[in-house]
Amino acid sequence: MNRFGFQSLYRSLSRHKLYAALNIGGLAVGIAVFLILSLFVRFETSFEKWLPHADELYLVQSEWTVPDSPVQGAYPYTMSGLLEQMREDFPGLLGTRIRGGERGGSVIQGGVATMEDVAQVDSSFFQLFNLPMLSGEGKALADPSVTLISRSTARKYFGDANPLGRTMTIAFDEPKLYRVAGVFEDLPANTDLKASILINMPATPPPGAADYWFHWGSTSLRTYLRFPDAEAARAFEKRMPEFVNRRGAAYLGEKPSEIMAISLLPLTRAHLQPAGQESASRKLTVAALGIVGLLTLLIAIVNYVNLATARAGLRAREVAMRKVLGADRGALIRQFLGEAVLTVAVAAFLGLILAELGLPLVNAAGGLSLTLPYAIVVPGLLLLALIVGVAAGFYPALMLSRFPAASVLASARSPGGGRAGTRARELLVVLQFGLAIAFIIGTMVLSAQTRHVRTSDLGFRRDGLLVVQSLADSGVTEAQARQIVTALRALPGVKAVGVSDTAAGGGGNNNTDSVAIPGRPGSGPSLRRLTIGPGFFEAYAPRLVAGRLFDDAYGADNNSGWRDGLPRNIVINRKAVSTLGFASPEEAIGKTVGGKQPRTIVGVIDELRFFTPRLPDDPTYYVYYRDSPGESFATIRYSGDAQAMEQAVGDLWRRMAPQVPLNARTADSLFNEFYQADDRATRLFAIGSGLAVLIGCVGLWGLASFNTQRRVKEIGIRKTLGASSTDVAKLLVGQFLRPVLIANLVAWPLAFVAMRAWLAGFDDRVALSPLFFIGATLAATLIAVLTVLAQSLRASRAAPSWALRHE
Amino acid sequence: MIRLENIQRRYVSDEVETTALKDIHLHVEAGEFLAIMGPSGCGKSTLLNTLGTVDRPTGGRYLFGDRDLAALNEADLARFRAETLGFVFQSFNLIDELTIEENVALGIAYRRDAAGNRRDRVAAAMDRVGIAHRARHFPHQLSGGQQQRAAIARAIVGNPKLILADEPTGNLDTENGAQVMNILTALNNAGATIVMVTHSPSHADIATRRIDMLDGRIVASATRAI
Ligand SMILES: Nc1ncnc2c1ncn2[C@@H]1O[C@H](COP(=O)(O)OP(=O)(O)O)[C@@H](O)[C@H]1O
Ligand SMILES: [Mg+2]
Repeated sequence: MNRFGFQSLYRSLSRHKLYAALNIGGLAVGIAVFLILSLFVRFETSFEKWLPHADELYLVQSEWTVPDSPVQGAYPYTMSGLLEQMREDFPGLLGTRIRGGERGGSVIQGGVATMEDVAQVDSSFFQLFNLPMLSGEGKALADPSVTLISRSTARKYFGDANPLGRTMTIAFDEPKLYRVAGVFEDLPANTDLKASILINMPATPPPGAADYWFHWGSTSLRTYLRFPDAEAARAFEKRMPEFVNRRGAAYLGEKPSEIMAISLLPLTRAHLQPAGQESASRKLTVAALGIVGLLTLLIAIVNYVNLATARAGLRAREVAMRKVLGADRGALIRQFLGEAVLTVAVAAFLGLILAELGLPLVNAAGGLSLTLPYAIVVPGLLLLALIVGVAAGFYPALMLSRFPAASVLASARSPGGGRAGTRARELLVVLQFGLAIAFIIGTMVLSAQTRHVRTSDLGFRRDGLLVVQSLADSGVTEAQARQIVTALRALPGVKAVGVSDTAAGGGGNNNTDSVAIPGRPGSGPSLRRLTIGPGFFEAYAPRLVAGRLFDDAYGADNNSGWRDGLPRNIVINRKAVSTLGFASPEEAIGKTVGGKQPRTIVGVIDELRFFTPRLPDDPTYYVYYRDSPGESFATIRYSGDAQAMEQAVGDLWRRMAPQVPLNARTADSLFNEFYQADDRATRLFAIGSGLAVLIGCVGLWGLASFNTQRRVKEIGIRKTLGASSTDVAKLLVGQFLRPVLIANLVAWPLAFVAMRAWLAGFDDRVALSPLFFIGATLAATLIAVLTVLAQSLRASRAAPSWALRHE
Repeated sequence: MIRLENIQRRYVSDEVETTALKDIHLHVEAGEFLAIMGPSGCGKSTLLNTLGTVDRPTGGRYLFGDRDLAALNEADLARFRAETLGFVFQSFNLIDELTIEENVALGIAYRRDAAGNRRDRVAAAMDRVGIAHRARHFPHQLSGGQQQRAAIARAIVGNPKLILADEPTGNLDTENGAQVMNILTALNNAGATIVMVTHSPSHADIATRRIDMLDGRIVASATRAI
């Protein structure tokens, strides 16, 4: 392209300001959306890949196939001592365990404990996770009195002073003094590894852990293995059933490999395809957002091509003139391609600016910290400009340069591609609005679902509930715990305090128990077992379906000191009624189940849903300990201000148990954690699809203005023949309404399939109501009408004699 | 049938004032075939557009039958055009995206009173001008003469009381021009009132009456002796 080419581009852009703005602005927004969403996808798919030889690392999973049990599928945890047994059976095996991690322990300074990401790891840890060291060496970890800390932990506790050789009291299993032997770089954002303080894994099971350390069937920490290649990993995996059978037989019955498998998950896949039931959804979310980004860009490109074609049609006369003046086809194609590439480059630059401006908003909405890596983005955008420019400019260039000059000059009208061109443009509107409508439906379903889980019935009131998880900390003795609970009950505003080994928001023990049904073979179905103490049912106030709740007046309700082998009473939830084979809650009352531990059902309650809405409710039974069970959470039911209550509980805690950091959270905030990821996805989806709709509208608007301009004469003819302004406005709006309505045929099935898949990830979910679809269609139609209405009305009012003269 | 009294039409744009029509007095009787002649820019099209109500005069009175058209609003005028008038233009003004049949049907598309079968009426109109065999074609697939005949079919499909033709033969060769004149004559013989602008004296001679314009005024009027 020569100087005149640039001049011609500049003039053509400034002469058609509106088209230029639409063309460049639309594409810029598309590019910005694409940039931001692909940054997100890149972030989500980059987890752990920053680790040296990340592709050689595997997470050991426990996979359960226990009939009738809530414990099903793969879990990313193993028995504590699994690695030790593996090392014995497979000499030379390279592996490490990570015990603790996020908020896994605390640092005690001046008698006050602060929660930190303390992780207990094997001394071989650095052979797998080769974290970059700022000072000291990973090998130092072999010394049990040594700790390695992260850069920011060092700054937090030692300021600018050299931390090497300094000591700190770290409470993990028990408070102990450690010497800092090294500092490692803070872990990046794209990791699920959470550790800021590393200490050595003890050679023998620590106090309190001895009874489960080698107990097959328990899952208590993460185990990682390193293999030189996938082949070796597969070979190792193949030998697992035999290993499980040999080692697990004492705990899991004759043929343990039938109910439990040990499998290896490549670490680089662990973030997007984590084990367990939530596995599908995270990948789906990332994939969906990636597709939104790609489609937004595609829509923007389609618009660009569309508008470029439309404008090129208006420039046909110029092209014909140039041809007459001797320009050859090659030169014309070069000119058009050059213009297109240059325009796209301008748009890409604007898109970069928009992305830079929009990134803080997206980071805030999505809880992210994404930044634009210019070293990749700039060459990427240049390449995009070239590809999109050529793709977008190719059709107009070829189409225009093929126009026989004579016919264009002779024709009174600018060529619009005839009926085929009209159809092609309608198809583009159909595609864009189809996608836009699908996005609107998706956003509506996502936000309906995220709203639903926030307000859905959990079986208890979720406000006015404070869960003190630190009561279960091993640093709190049982006697102390009892005193704390009594003191909590005396706080003003406290209605009830209940203790239990699991509380709202999950955490704590996840115990399941096989409950044999008398008269039936086998060990019976697996039920979740919740151990509760006094005040639990007062705090949660479940709905009683049949029978009664626990009452100290009945001696058989109490499990404390149970030795006589007589049946003890339990309360079950509604789900357990059918699991245990009863026809109705009433029928279950008074029945005794269980083999060696007979249990009599005295009450049936509605489900108390403590866990993520993604998981189904488990059949559950509740056992009662009058002397509150050990290692329990306390749940406080209070009235009045949440902050004041947290403050009061905090003061009390620091007075009674300063050695343990307080971990008390409202049920609301605990449940929020379950919703966070989906909330973020919803917000990002809404932003992305809002922009997709915007781009779709820009496209429609541009098309409408092009079309009304092209149809001015036709409007004149129709009005001369007796059409009123209303007739013409109807014609123009209807012309765009039809493709928008047809777009629903694209959108509805697409959205239906995608949303059904997404909702399937939730046990507690909204119905995929037709209202979402109808609502989105109405919204899109309204938007479309408003988009084209102003121009259509203006065009319809033009005087016919003026229109007839118009060329 | 038509009485124009003291019609004025002034265009004002960018401080330049053009007077396209000055003191026009004109009566057209039912069944007449009136030809308008005059040099380019003298106001012929403006006069025809005024008759066709697609252009509003800035002064004077336009009576159609006993109706004063000045009293009608935009929507009523549109309806008046749909029911009463037929237009033929020099550049045909067919709509590219529609077939010939669909173009012809436009002539009655905006009529509320369209009695009888629309398809039959469209077919009859196309038959009458001899383009029935081109019904499914698009305008650009037809010759100029065929396009103009299609435009005439569109003008007559609604049985208008008045046909307005602005240089209908201006873009046609002699042979096609003669053919169009034959159709117009036949329509006139069948009772249609026609007002036609033309540059061709021989075509003007076919009309029953002829007026000459100069600078926005009617300067001469002659009736052909029958
Ligand atoms: N929309 C308009 N604005 C300004 N001047 C106009 C307009 N339409 C017509 N004219 C002027 O009115 C005069 C008559 O035009 P017209 O009726 O088209 O002439 P003719 O058809 O006899 O060639 C011309 O001088 C023309 O320039
Ligand atoms: Mg004229």
